[in-house]
Amino acid sequence: MAAENNNKSKISFKTIAAFLQTGNKSSRLFSYAGLAVGVMLLLCCVQLYININLLLKEKNPRKNGYDFISVTKTITNENMGKDNRFSNTEIADFKKQPFIADAAPLLSNQFRVKMSAGDIIPFSTDLFLESIQNNFIDTLPSSFTWQPGQTTVPIIFSADFLEMYNVFAPAQGLPQLSEGSIGAVNIILECSAPDGTVMKFTGNIVAVSDRLNTVLVPESFLNWGNKIFSTLPEQPAARIYIKTTDANSVALQNYFQQNNYHVNKDKTKFGRIKSTLQAIVAGLGGLALLVVLLSVLLFSFYLQLMISRSKENLQLLLTLGYSPLWLSKTVAKKWFPVYAIIIFIALAATQLFQYFFQSNFIAGQDALSPFIDYKVVVLGLLLFVLCIVSTYRLIKTQLYRL
Amino acid sequence: MEISLNNIIADFLEKEKTNNSEVWQQKILFKEGSKTEISAPSGSGKTSLIHFLYGLRKDYNGTILFDKKNIKIIDSAQLADIRAMQLSIVFQDLRLFKDFSVLQNLEIKRTLSPYHKQSLINEMAERLGIVKKLSQNAGTCSYGEQQRIAIIRALQQPFSFIILDEPFSHLDEANSEKSMALIEEEAAKRGAGIILADLQHNTFFKADSILHL
Repeated sequence: MAAENNNKSKISFKTIAAFLQTGNKSSRLFSYAGLAVGVMLLLCCVQLYININLLLKEKNPRKNGYDFISVTKTITNENMGKDNRFSNTEIADFKKQPFIADAAPLLSNQFRVKMSAGDIIPFSTDLFLESIQNNFIDTLPSSFTWQPGQTTVPIIFSADFLEMYNVFAPAQGLPQLSEGSIGAVNIILECSAPDGTVMKFTGNIVAVSDRLNTVLVPESFLNWGNKIFSTLPEQPAARIYIKTTDANSVALQNYFQQNNYHVNKDKTKFGRIKSTLQAIVAGLGGLALLVVLLSVLLFSFYLQLMISRSKENLQLLLTLGYSPLWLSKTVAKKWFPVYAIIIFIALAATQLFQYFFQSNFIAGQDALSPFIDYKVVVLGLLLFVLCIVSTYRLIKTQLYRL
Repeated sequence: MEISLNNIIADFLEKEKTNNSEVWQQKILFKEGSKTEISAPSGSGKTSLIHFLYGLRKDYNGTILFDKKNIKIIDSAQLADIRAMQLSIVFQDLRLFKDFSVLQNLEIKRTLSPYHKQSLINEMAERLGIVKKLSQNAGTCSYGEQQRIAIIRALQQPFSFIILDEPFSHLDEANSEKSMALIEEEAAKRGAGIILADLQHNTFFKADSILHL
């Protein structure tokens, strides 16, 4: 006897095409057009989303790929009188966030420090000292250490403070100082305890920091001083430095906002612009998804109509021995090239959009590629598979119902 | 292939009425190559029996086995396979695509599981006198012509059994005889069995056994 019935696989759609009443051409074309527009819009939105992320990522001068941001609690009229320092659990919570690589408190002196600059600069002031983990310091010389008994204390001075000093110094009759010469200034630090004990140290500015706007001393000195000159227990930090790969991350912005933390606005302004733009593009993307879904729905109505119009013919084909599975596959396959063309057109249009976006966006030309992102291509392919699968399933259910 | 009927009875038939039946509620075995005539007066459930055998309806009790496969519970793919490869049929109501040409009606069956080349269609149509109708729409042919189209269609596939439900009801004696001869020839080529169901005895069908429904 002849071969197995799987020789049906040799039969093409053409054999049965005439038995399908395809019917209303305009509703079919309309759903194709809807699908093409929807997919194109969706792909463009995803590409735009990726562009925004690329454009607004690298706006800060970064060291070792990280941003360091100083965080304090926002002082409002409501919390003004309260303790607005960071508890250990809050610091631990910082470290837990996936978008924060590390966090360190700035410890401050709990004793009185008076600074004078000797004879060259007749200037004296009460001063605050702070310390932080060494790995948060951008300019860390090897001499930045201190041991009990050492009379010279190394200091890292904020570049902002130096600038401020140089602005008001001439008016006060004081000499202006360069970053290089500031190390030569003899600073006398007078530490005093409430009981009247006073100890003098020689301060030596060993480096200037762009990142940390404070007067830094080694942690060992501050810990020692807080024990010797203060009777208070260890105090929580009022300021935290965080280390992050992207200061403009939207998640980071939300985290700050939720916890009512205050940060340098300039450092994170792109983050706020980005989150707004992302929201707009996401909204547009949602709309595009709706268009895609509606056109798929319209197309599925069209398919149902086609099958119910061809019901008698299809029933007879099944009676003659055509298997419902083979029929479903063969009929569904007819839309394979249609979907392929639609997705291809949408991808090509997205590529065109990206090309014009990149070439007209002068500020971002370096950051942007003139080609669409691979994720967009993957999404296009996914939509293609989704269309094929949904069409096949619909036809199959309808045919098995006959 | 063998077809066995085990105590089958249509749900809508009253049991008392089937007491004298040689088919309902009996054990019957159709062997490959056998020729069986089922003689069935109107209302005895002839067409229902044919539909049960072809797996189109399931409103009966008892079992119909194709070899060891119960036709009532096999999946749609297996059923399609049996219809395409092992079991051919001429329906009483013919079931042609009325809006399609005679040739299209024959080709849709032949391409599914070709036993003959396309050229043989012409030869068969010639023998049964409908060769001029090949390009005409099936719906516009007379019932007698449609009957011959349905017969030729049933002969395009491989089969172990061919079931005929009143196949010659609208044919004159000469055409009936020609048709029967063609069917018997084709069945012999395949070593296949014939099951013919009709209202009364068919003189030109040389059955091995006659069952009264």
